[in-house]
Amino acid sequence: MILQSLKIALESLWANKMRSFLSMLGIIIGVGAVIAIVSVGTGSTQQVTSNIANLGSNMITIYPKTPKGQGGQVKSVSSQDKFSLELSDYMEKFCPSVKKVIPVKQISGSLISDDINVNATVLGTNIDYTEVNNYEVDMGNFISDNDDEERRQVIVLGSQLAEDLFENDNPIGERIKVNYEGQVYMFEVIGVMKEKGSTIGGNLDDQAYIPLSVAMDKLTNSDYVTSYIAQAASTEKASTAVSELENFMVKFLDDEDQEQFRIISQDEILDTVSSVTGTMSMMLGGIAAISLLVGGIGIMNIMLVSVTERTREIGVRKALGARNTHILFQFLMESLNLTSFGGILGIGFGWAVAYFLSRYGDWPMIIAPLSIGLAFGFALFIGIFFGLYPAMKAAKMNPVDALRYE
Amino acid sequence: MTKVIKIEQLEKTYYLGKVKVEALRGVSFEINTGDFVSIMGPSGSGKSTLMHIIGCLDYPTGGKFFLSGQDVSKLNDNQLALFRNQKIGFVFQQFNLLPKATILRNVELPLTYNNSNSRNKRQLAAQALEEVGLGDRLKHRPNEISGGQKQRVAIARALVNHPSIILADEPTGNLDSKTGRDIMEIIKKLHDSGNTIILVTHEPEIAQYSQRVIHLKDGLIDKDEVIA
Repeated sequence: MILQSLKIALESLWANKMRSFLSMLGIIIGVGAVIAIVSVGTGSTQQVTSNIANLGSNMITIYPKTPKGQGGQVKSVSSQDKFSLELSDYMEKFCPSVKKVIPVKQISGSLISDDINVNATVLGTNIDYTEVNNYEVDMGNFISDNDDEERRQVIVLGSQLAEDLFENDNPIGERIKVNYEGQVYMFEVIGVMKEKGSTIGGNLDDQAYIPLSVAMDKLTNSDYVTSYIAQAASTEKASTAVSELENFMVKFLDDEDQEQFRIISQDEILDTVSSVTGTMSMMLGGIAAISLLVGGIGIMNIMLVSVTERTREIGVRKALGARNTHILFQFLMESLNLTSFGGILGIGFGWAVAYFLSRYGDWPMIIAPLSIGLAFGFALFIGIFFGLYPAMKAAKMNPVDALRYE
Repeated sequence: MTKVIKIEQLEKTYYLGKVKVEALRGVSFEINTGDFVSIMGPSGSGKSTLMHIIGCLDYPTGGKFFLSGQDVSKLNDNQLALFRNQKIGFVFQQFNLLPKATILRNVELPLTYNNSNSRNKRQLAAQALEEVGLGDRLKHRPNEISGGQKQRVAIARALVNHPSIILADEPTGNLDSKTGRDIMEIIKKLHDSGNTIILVTHEPEIAQYSQRVIHLKDGLIDKDEVIA
């Protein structure tokens, strides 16, 4: 009987092609949206995740927090003047899971080569910076320990910065001026870094690197660094390293509430990203679900119209011996067919959208079978749920009244 | 002679809003297998109600109705549907064909509801259409044929299940008089080949084709006359 109802239902849907298609549209868009959104969500998350991993292995950053207070009074003491150079050695000593700690002094100034002037972030750091950041030299060398000890005014450029300042010329050995707070310093370019691309922590290609000692003693004349970059001994030890560093800082700064410093680890960034993308997916998924629901209501609407319009047909079918269940199944099959065809078209549609978006956004195209199953199953459920009422209405019709209907 | 229909003190009362309508007020008659009986009466006489009850589309509110010896008032909805499918062949004034389905499909419809296998179904439907002279129009749709041809399709559909009675409700009502006569000739031929036919009409000329006319008036039998 179900097979037979299916055949009858297909015939009547085919007879009203345009209307069937239009009423399917809601389901097509809904299912398509679910599949496209889930695909874009997983694809872009994977891209961002791999970018973050690219940022540096097991990287942990320690910043001083900007002091805050209430009613114009700054309550807590700024810890900035406790972020000394030597602290990094203590961190390495007291945190066994930490392999290396690099102090970083960040300043911003303008770089001038002949008549080209570029504003850039300049980092005072040492040779270990490249290792921790997974960062390689393209031409020349990075800052050596010797440069640091001798306080040589040498500079290494990020790839974009090198291009901006020297276009296609070889910058190695060239001299550039660094303008920092009105003072001009001459630097010799000793290296250009490989392209790293933009990462969650900013674009490394737009930065320049100078010896830490030069940044601290010559440019800023300060005893304190901007931040520390620590590297965990291994990926497995990353979270232990974070808690060791936390303990160390709490004790060192006597700051139980962790108000004076902030530790950001790669794991934490990953968590933030995945929670952001998770929220986004939830939100978009919710929109898709609502569109499926609206599509379902559209189906119910069209089925109710169809039942009323075909009252006479129902009467004739009953007169010829159709039972109530025959009529019920016929109309239920019709709405189920609408939603399942809509679902199939929607899968194709979502696939196409996901494909084009992944090409456009340059992330891997991932279609999870689960999302297809889920969207299609939901479409079928909607077909049954919203088809049931019109089908029951049709089945319950009195044959005499139905036959008389004009 | 076996009695295909036996009706005893049949009553049907229904309500139109708050108005009580007594459509049938105690009607009794019998019809033998192979008879050709007309039911006549002005509108409001109760003939449509009587036809609905005989067609197992409606329940009586009083009295008894036996179809092929079975008390129809004791049947449930599904059994009634089965009876309509197996025992009754309807021919309506408005033809009542499914407009989007082919003629063949229309005639197959009653077979669809009794689980015949599909090859058999097609064959039986084609055969029934052959009998009414439409064997060459199987793939046409109802809007592609004339009114007389539509009514012949409806007759083929009524015949296809070999019912106990053929119930024709004003079968010539929507046709011109010549086409109407053609249809009546076909119905007469069906009777000649042994079918039981009940014809509901208000036209005396059409009733002339039958052997017996039951006149209804105000829900009661006014006259039960045998012709020829």
